[in-house]
Amino acid sequence: MKRFLTPQGVVGFSLIFAIAAIGILAPLLVPRDYATRMKMAARLKPPSLEFWFGTDQLGRDLFFRVLLGAHTSLGIAAAAVGISIVIGLPLGIISGYVRGRTDNVLMRLVDTLLSFPALLLALTISAMLGPSIPNTIIAIGIAFTPFLARIIRGEALRVSAMPYVEAARAAGTGDVAMIIRHILPNVIPLVIVQGTISLAFAILAEAGLSFLGLGTQPPNSSWGLMIQASRDYLDVAPWTALAPGAAVALTVLALNMSGDVLRDVLDPRVRS
Amino acid sequence: MNRRELLKSTALLGGAALFGTVFPGATFAQETPKKGGTLLWGHSETTQSLDMHVTGSASTLRLLENIHCPIVTVDKSFNVIPMLAESFEESPDGLTYTFKLRKDVKFHNGKTLDSADVKYSFDRVRDPKTGAVNFEVFKDVTSIETPDANTVIVKLGRVNAPFLSRLAENGAGVIMPADSGEGQANMPVGAGPFKFVRREFGHEVELVRFDDYFEGPAYLDKVISREITEPTVRLTGLRTGELHMINDIPADRVAEVEGIDTLQTLKWFPLNFDFVNFNHDYEPFKDARVRQAFDLMIDKEQLLQGALWDQGKLTASPSFPTSSSYDAALQQRPQDMDKAMALLAEAGYGPGKLKLVFKTTTNYPYHVESAQIMAEWFRAAGVEMTIEQLTWADWLSQVWVNRDFQISMMNFFTLWEPDFLYYSLWNSTGAFNYRNIKDAEIDKLTQEARGTVDPAARAELYKKVQQRIFDQTLDVILWFRNGTIGAQKSVGGLDTIVHPNGSNLNFHKVWLNS
Amino acid sequence: MTYVLNRLLSIVLTLWLISVITFAVTSILPGDVAMMILGTQSNPTALAGLREQLGLNDSLVVQYGRWIGGMLTGDFGHSLVFKEPISQLMAQKMKASALIVVMSMAIALVCAVPLGVWAAVHRRRWQDSVSSSAALLGISLPDFFWGIMMILLFARTLGWFPSSGFTDPSVDFVGALRHAFLPSLALGLGLMAHLTRVTRSTMTGILNQEFIRVARAKGLAERTVVWSYGLRNAVGPIMTVAGLQIGYLFGSIIVVETLFNYTGMGWITYQALLNRDVPLIQTSVFFIAAVVMLTNFVVDLLYLLVDPRIRTE
Repeated sequence: MKRFLTPQGVVGFSLIFAIAAIGILAPLLVPRDYATRMKMAARLKPPSLEFWFGTDQLGRDLFFRVLLGAHTSLGIAAAAVGISIVIGLPLGIISGYVRGRTDNVLMRLVDTLLSFPALLLALTISAMLGPSIPNTIIAIGIAFTPFLARIIRGEALRVSAMPYVEAARAAGTGDVAMIIRHILPNVIPLVIVQGTISLAFAILAEAGLSFLGLGTQPPNSSWGLMIQASRDYLDVAPWTALAPGAAVALTVLALNMSGDVLRDVLDPRVRS
Repeated sequence: MNRRELLKSTALLGGAALFGTVFPGATFAQETPKKGGTLLWGHSETTQSLDMHVTGSASTLRLLENIHCPIVTVDKSFNVIPMLAESFEESPDGLTYTFKLRKDVKFHNGKTLDSADVKYSFDRVRDPKTGAVNFEVFKDVTSIETPDANTVIVKLGRVNAPFLSRLAENGAGVIMPADSGEGQANMPVGAGPFKFVRREFGHEVELVRFDDYFEGPAYLDKVISREITEPTVRLTGLRTGELHMINDIPADRVAEVEGIDTLQTLKWFPLNFDFVNFNHDYEPFKDARVRQAFDLMIDKEQLLQGALWDQGKLTASPSFPTSSSYDAALQQRPQDMDKAMALLAEAGYGPGKLKLVFKTTTNYPYHVESAQIMAEWFRAAGVEMTIEQLTWADWLSQVWVNRDFQISMMNFFTLWEPDFLYYSLWNSTGAFNYRNIKDAEIDKLTQEARGTVDPAARAELYKKVQQRIFDQTLDVILWFRNGTIGAQKSVGGLDTIVHPNGSNLNFHKVWLNS
Repeated sequence: MTYVLNRLLSIVLTLWLISVITFAVTSILPGDVAMMILGTQSNPTALAGLREQLGLNDSLVVQYGRWIGGMLTGDFGHSLVFKEPISQLMAQKMKASALIVVMSMAIALVCAVPLGVWAAVHRRRWQDSVSSSAALLGISLPDFFWGIMMILLFARTLGWFPSSGFTDPSVDFVGALRHAFLPSLALGLGLMAHLTRVTRSTMTGILNQEFIRVARAKGLAERTVVWSYGLRNAVGPIMTVAGLQIGYLFGSIIVVETLFNYTGMGWITYQALLNRDVPLIQTSVFFIAAVVMLTNFVVDLLYLLVDPRIRTE
């Protein structure tokens, strides 16, 4: 436990908990219309006591929009990473555990998919499905899967070759039992590390998709969408970009910091 | 996939008919024009099919204005005046039109204009296979005769009052050299002041001066149109001096641009009108009470301020503001939430019963803003509404072509020719009736107007059409939007650039000082 | 040699797989090409005719065969929107994108390597914190956010570089560099941050190794030890990571080129997606994936030259 609590770890984890709490609690605590109601008399107002983060081009309070945007952005990122784990974990484990022809075929496929830049893949899928929150989740989730599958496969391969696993195999443990009892527990730490880092990338990917108009749709607010909307007002009202930009930066920063610490502690490749 | 083709008959979406009034106050230096130079224009929209007979997109017409010439055109008061025809004559019974052509007109390919080119062009537009936006202009034409090289006689089977003025509008009367149709979409050849050189789709179009232009060569050597759809990027380009001029200054920045010493601005009114559209085949919107309820939810003044930063003027009449069919007496419904909710309840759509998707296009960012503002009012009246931001191609295919939508918003350039405006948009068979409007009275009135020669009587008929549109809330007409151009001080002749015929910009008399 | 041959074989296989995946993904795009082309003139007869003409009635296998056959003979078809041969478009746009990819890589390496080494040398001191925090911040913001900031600073406020557009290097080389600079910088920042982190961790590992201690013990100047002995051994890993980032760069150019109106591969791919220009989407997606894959192959080969040990693996 102590090893998690380096200064970087403390800062990273507490930030993440705080941001996650905001993401989860904001929609419960802040009435939805706080983020959408407009005041034409208070458009593009700089941050003040009344509007902590200022207001946007429609006079909406950026503070509440950033809070509620956390819900959308984090929700999309978490769900997308969830999808990539749900698909990538079994693929990686099977490939690494079964090896042989299955592994060859699967990994050839995964390697090929890795040649497609994740954002390009997500963009193409999103354009195909049409822009909406569920489709954004699917697009990012699928785009991130090959990477995760590749990493998990490597770890599964390493674990399968461990003496105690060989021993268990010799003792006649069934494949399913083997995977559940020996492979999976050993792979989980790596999934946590990669999941954390992927979350950071997923938040950036959501922002990129929304920026191109293929992600979250208004009047919902996500950080990427807010940055996109701010473009036209940047030189007169830079806070419209800075507020969501800072939210993205802080979250991704916290995730990366935590990811670094988690890796140092959990990643068997670094640990050894 | 193919946005350009899709646009074939989407005439007039977006864009501008300028001209009404150039705002006073803007003073333009009266200097001697200089020859030479390449003008870099930051164009607000992407050009589509370059075939002027076929294309309907305002942005494309805006550019093609410099390449092509129509047989007749209009002056600032929308009187039809000669262009490629040096004179024209209408027979007393209104069934025969005789055009005498100029003899000094050269096309870009070196050919001299004669009656065969006119016949070719008219026949081309008439042929439904061409897919011309304006093909129905020639609906009543029975024959086109060319007794000699400079005379064209068009005979009609029945009176079509707007025939001549429709020829002056949007490519219907544009004359292309005979048999040049095939290549026009990619390599337009006309008789205008500039020759087409090349286009890099979605990025840049290059025009070069045509020295044999019949009204004298232009001052500029070249015009390069950079298609920069992002408003801020366009404005930044102007401010950093990368561009000589841009059209459509972002609404919230007009005042700021006006305050910059090194720049000049040109404003005019109106550029286009905007309206909210209902799909009349969507069950709830079949009920006029529901449509009216939505009209009542919209605070037009707030919306104009919110989405357009007041760069426009509210109107309930879509007719060109200076035209005789404009009905100033028609007043918009003020916002009345109680009445709106009562109407909805009466129609069986009490709070929470109606869930809508608003399809809007990112091609017009202020439409996205408008939708967001309206969503708030609709929610207050118990209607849940989500917004789908569609790309231009998707909006065209979903809303315009497939009519798969519930509620949407669009703009049209302000069509000064009322037949074009009311027949195309509100007649049940109109080319732009993507809202599935089927109103027998409007059909009757618009047809009747076509056969009515007396201008005053026609104008009255069109006023009745407007009243009907309003009473039935077929659409919610919102406002006329201002047109704007920002340019470096070095650009001369800016006051000549806006053409009366539509949203078009003409560089014939524009020059560069440095 | 066998290794190289094997790799070449696997490249051909991967290219084929890339084409299959690309075709499969784009073939299920909603919307009918024929309807998009005909637009408002759609009617059942015209649609059926055009579908026949475009070969849309053939089975997917036949369509795929035609596409791949065309590509093998150098015929990539025509773009529906741009109306130009796709091969010509690809050549132009690849050139434009190559310029910013190379430039951003150069910017990233020139800054990242010294920063990373500096951090590694001063491990756990303030220099390390500064460099690591800067790097963390660099990867924590989306490229387009950096891009927006650069337009504001360098184009709007200072007026040093153009805010948008592309110039062909063969026409105006300096102009081309000026147009490419801001997009490259926007792309390069994230990359730089990433490479700084890699350089730091690689160098940290190397500086703890025996041969470095020996070199120091021999009384060599610290500068020589670090920059000559240390860095030489870090080149391989840094290069590998940099090579892998090419894929990331080709994803990012979509957003960055769109932001800067820089008409390269990213821009044209986005335009193709927006306009549902299927032939163009297929080919440009295929090309990007192929370039990424080939770059990785070249990096592997280079690594082989730097570190021959891998050959025996």
